[in-house]
Amino acid sequence: MRWHIDGDMFAAYQRGDLTPSRMMAVDTHLQACATCRAAVPQDPGWLDASWSAITEMLDTPRPRPAERLLTLVGVPHHRVRILVATPALRWSWLGATVSVLAFGIAAALAGQSGAHMTLLLYLVFAPILPVLAVATVYGPPVDPMHEITSVTPVAGPALVLWRSSAVVGLSVVIGMLGAAFVPGPGWWAVAWLLPALLLCVSTLALATVLPLIRAAAVFGGAWLVVVGGAAVAGSPVRPLMFGPLAQAGYLAAAVVAGVVLSARRRRLDPGEMR
Amino acid sequence: MTTVSMRGLTKRYGGTTAIADLTARIGVGVTGFLGPNGAGKTTLLRCLATALAPDSGRLVAYGLDTAVAAERTALRRRLGYLPQDPGLYPNFKTAELLDYVAVLKELTDTGRRRAEVRRVLAEVGLTDRATVRVRKLSGGMRQRLALAQALLGDPELLILDEPTVGLDPEQRMLFRALVSRLGHTRTVLLSTHQTEDVGALCERVLVMRAGGIVFDGTPGELAAQAEGRVWVSAEPPSDAHVYWRNADGRYRTLGPRPIGGEPGLLSIEDGYLTLLGAEAAAAGSGDAERVS
Repeated sequence: MRWHIDGDMFAAYQRGDLTPSRMMAVDTHLQACATCRAAVPQDPGWLDASWSAITEMLDTPRPRPAERLLTLVGVPHHRVRILVATPALRWSWLGATVSVLAFGIAAALAGQSGAHMTLLLYLVFAPILPVLAVATVYGPPVDPMHEITSVTPVAGPALVLWRSSAVVGLSVVIGMLGAAFVPGPGWWAVAWLLPALLLCVSTLALATVLPLIRAAAVFGGAWLVVVGGAAVAGSPVRPLMFGPLAQAGYLAAAVVAGVVLSARRRRLDPGEMR
Repeated sequence: MTTVSMRGLTKRYGGTTAIADLTARIGVGVTGFLGPNGAGKTTLLRCLATALAPDSGRLVAYGLDTAVAAERTALRRRLGYLPQDPGLYPNFKTAELLDYVAVLKELTDTGRRRAEVRRVLAEVGLTDRATVRVRKLSGGMRQRLALAQALLGDPELLILDEPTVGLDPEQRMLFRALVSRLGHTRTVLLSTHQTEDVGALCERVLVMRAGGIVFDGTPGELAAQAEGRVWVSAEPPSDAHVYWRNADGRYRTLGPRPIGGEPGLLSIEDGYLTLLGAEAAAAGSGDAERVS
């Protein structure tokens, strides 16, 4: 650097008396000239505090809409973080969920001989979505950070249930959106919710014995074989499997599965002795 | 003062016994675990970290019994764990991932949590990577990030399984400085294949083989296991346990004295190889030539 800022200009710069164009010129020069830069008085404390404030502002993530909504309904902020972060742990589950749903709707629409058949096929596939989601929330090999998360204070039943709530909630929303594409009468479009609840709770209860992913395969597979098979065979599946009596049965069975899950919940903790 | 004690600890995987009837007491300071692959180090550390339940035996840390659910949870509030394969979420940003783990560690106050995230980022030198996604970090940076999550909450018990894997020499020096500082007031358990790390950091070293502890002492005492078995000679030995050619062209021998051999300086590695014999030589001597 061949020239340096003279004393008068430097004083005016420090007072803030320069025109904007000259101010910019001095700023540019200061960036390139260590000698002049060293002459600028500075307050390290103020500088550090300013950088901290900027870093804090930049590092603080903006709350997403779901985060704002959950906070609004009174969920504590740290729980909101678990709920909102869970789907992002492994996006593959979301892909699988959407794929199953799309397949179900496509199969329903392609084989459409009437609204009843379309709805039935949808009802067969929709309860599988939350089970798929639950299968991906905890334990090896689906959770790459399981070894770390499993030794935190919330590990075990608490973490499994919070994460399950997050993904089940999202997959139910996806399922309800899918229902909009399926022609059918009234409340039948939501007739899959109680079977889904039963499958999810049963999966978690069985996960106290088997790895979660295997438990999900057992119940998801059993559902597809029994209900899907009956539908394909042309049995009167809809009134039999989704009628009011069946719904009451699903609810009762879900309660029983919930009791089993509650009694055995500690087995979801990898540190629990068998 | 004893902070961690185990008695009769046993863990089997099917027909294989990973750790067998282990009994030990560990106190504040840095304790190193050495041993060949399959010796049971990782299984033991997983049990100590409460990531795995032993089949039998009792494990108590800071007065908390890991077999009791409430006490296990209380212990988890006081420990930090760096597993051998941390498997960090690739889609998360560095600070975001630490924030998430901090939530799981029950740092519920947002302000305190963010301050803690900044502190551990600074501890491992990743402050300038706070907003970078994990998948874009180098291997060494990921390892430092994994270490950072273990430091969250300022744990009293720090369990580190192969922590220096992937770190370059400068990062290893920083790691050693950090761990030695922590070891003044905390219990640090360190599993490693790097005997230099043990020599540099540990006041005590436990050598494991086939699920049991075969040595318990200071690094100096481990090195002394090779007393009278380390030689330097101009010619290669004919019946050494293990030997190699040094940079100065002379042969360093571990075993019976070769012709013209002079006593060599003892190292922890010599003691370790002497203790474990052919098994360690095969697993840990790298490019050393074996004669048996």
